Amino acid sequence: MAKLTILEFPDPRLRTKAIPVAAVDDELNALIDDMFETMYAAPGIGLAATQVDVHWRFLVADVSPDQSQPHALINPVILEKDGVRVSEEGCLSVPGYYEDVQRAEHIRVKFLNREGDPVEMEADGLLAVCIQHEIDHLDGKLFVDYLSEAKRQRIRKRLEKSRRHQAAAAM
Amino acid sequence: MTAGQQGARLRATAAQVIDAVTSSGRSLDAALADVEEKVAVSDRPLLRLLCYGSLRHHWRLQSWIDGLLSRPLRSRDSAVNALLAVGLYQLGETRIPDHAVVSETVEAARFLGRPKLAPLVNAVLRRALRDRIFENDPSNDEAAYDHPRWLIDALAVDWPDDWKDIVAANNARAPMWLRVNPAHGTAADYCARLAARGIEATLLPAAPQAVRLGAPQPVDTLPGFADGHVSVQDGAAQLAAPWLLDGLSGRVLDACAAPGGKSGHLLELGGDRIDLICIDNDATRLEAVAANLRRLAVEATPLCADASDPENWWDGVPFNGILLDAPCSASGVIRRHPDIKLLRRASDIGELARRQAAMVAALWGLLAPGGRLLYVTCSVLAAENDEVIAQFLEANRDARENNVLQNNNIRDLMRDKACGFQILPGTKDLDGFYFACLEKVS
Repeated sequence: MAKLTILEFPDPRLRTKAIPVAAVDDELNALIDDMFETMYAAPGIGLAATQVDVHWRFLVADVSPDQSQPHALINPVILEKDGVRVSEEGCLSVPGYYEDVQRAEHIRVKFLNREGDPVEMEADGLLAVCIQHEIDHLDGKLFVDYLSEAKRQRIRKRLEKSRRHQAAAAM
Repeated sequence: MTAGQQGARLRATAAQVIDAVTSSGRSLDAALADVEEKVAVSDRPLLRLLCYGSLRHHWRLQSWIDGLLSRPLRSRDSAVNALLAVGLYQLGETRIPDHAVVSETVEAARFLGRPKLAPLVNAVLRRALRDRIFENDPSNDEAAYDHPRWLIDALAVDWPDDWKDIVAANNARAPMWLRVNPAHGTAADYCARLAARGIEATLLPAAPQAVRLGAPQPVDTLPGFADGHVSVQDGAAQLAAPWLLDGLSGRVLDACAAPGGKSGHLLELGGDRIDLICIDNDATRLEAVAANLRRLAVEATPLCADASDPENWWDGVPFNGILLDAPCSASGVIRRHPDIKLLRRASDIGELARRQAAMVAALWGLLAPGGRLLYVTCSVLAAENDEVIAQFLEANRDARENNVLQNNNIRDLMRDKACGFQILPGTKDLDGFYFACLEKVS
């Protein structure tokens, strides 16, 4: 297994719209293992393929406190949304920033599991929010897109500045 | 996605609460009340766990911190010291995964306004994990028993065979006990109502109204709580009212009534047979008594007054019974109030004993011949208990101890003292309480 590099806002590759996975094979499953490892190490509760510069439609998530409920969703499609929930979100591609975002409280989603079988799942609360957040990534969308233009620019500038500092320090 | 920062913020809040106790001498209840409003209801149990746990294990955690830091933090960074305690408590005593503890606790330094100390918090917690300090034997008695030196010594003198059990009980988490109002059924009936909601509960033969919950519950989830069907009260405290009222009627005084747990119990049992006067010298706390009695739909006469100064409030009509639940060190209820171990000083005990003696002496004059005074404390220290009563009995020829217990179930809980009886904390999962029943010779 290997830890992957996570793209950071405003990297233009995060704006790529991913294409459906054609075949659930060993190569894909190895990539899913790497994404779990990357997500747990970060630490994060969800990671979309887009964020590691792989532009296929799949994501991993685990919102449990003890890494006991891993979910891998391949070609996910939301079938139903219900209710409203505002919660504070952060993103491994927007490190250090947390903002309130409004999402559906409850969703029903269909996807392929790691064996390639089609399944349906209901999700509530944090898991529902997380899956919606990750599917946005597969569509080239970030949680900062829900914020005001001024706030998004402020975050972009600060992240660019801190990266320039890191680059300078590394030289 | 990453989880929001509620986790980091909550740890910062816990550190502030702990710091308010350890640095400013605030009580844990008051410090929690200051912040709890701003914390989401779903996060409050974790906040309480972190605050209670970190204070309960203060000495062990501090010995680890001292060993991990090359030099102590400055006193103005005391909140960061408290944050280190919160972090080490989680690593050593909870099942929260290590990586989550480290990231949330490091991030919390920023919410304490100390971002520059975040790397230090990170280094200390990671070193604690690498060095496996949680497996090391504690470096001294205070750390080994998580009690201050003076209290270990005092307990060892008063309870040479039991002090280690007392210390262990003090460091355990307290259960939640209820008192079932007999106007709304028996304790067994109430257990059935709880069982219907999936809440596990057990009975205590010595206290027929007592129910011990398998796990603590918010009161608003208890059936009939708002309508006075049950009150929250430790099983040991429930022994006082039936003891005082045994065969007694007429005028009764609850001399230090707040927050009104025992007043309510006296009225549940005494009904119209007794005329209860509740006094307390704190007007705000007396309000809590009134609210408690309203919930139970019972009536008493509340009076804001000092029990040790009856000249200022007593109307001269004697009482047949007096319950004196005296202000004390609370050394028997440390499991419910771990901050007691930090806030009390050895020098407090003598002062408390003098006040207790003064209260018994002052109230004795209010008792009718043949009347009964039940002296109660939630302390386990002889200086506040049997020594106060022994001295009083020696000085007052018209006072006699009644050492007959009502039944064997009660006897099984009690340790005999030279005068009076002690329940040690943890006995049948009860709080530590002392009782002495004095009667006035007619």
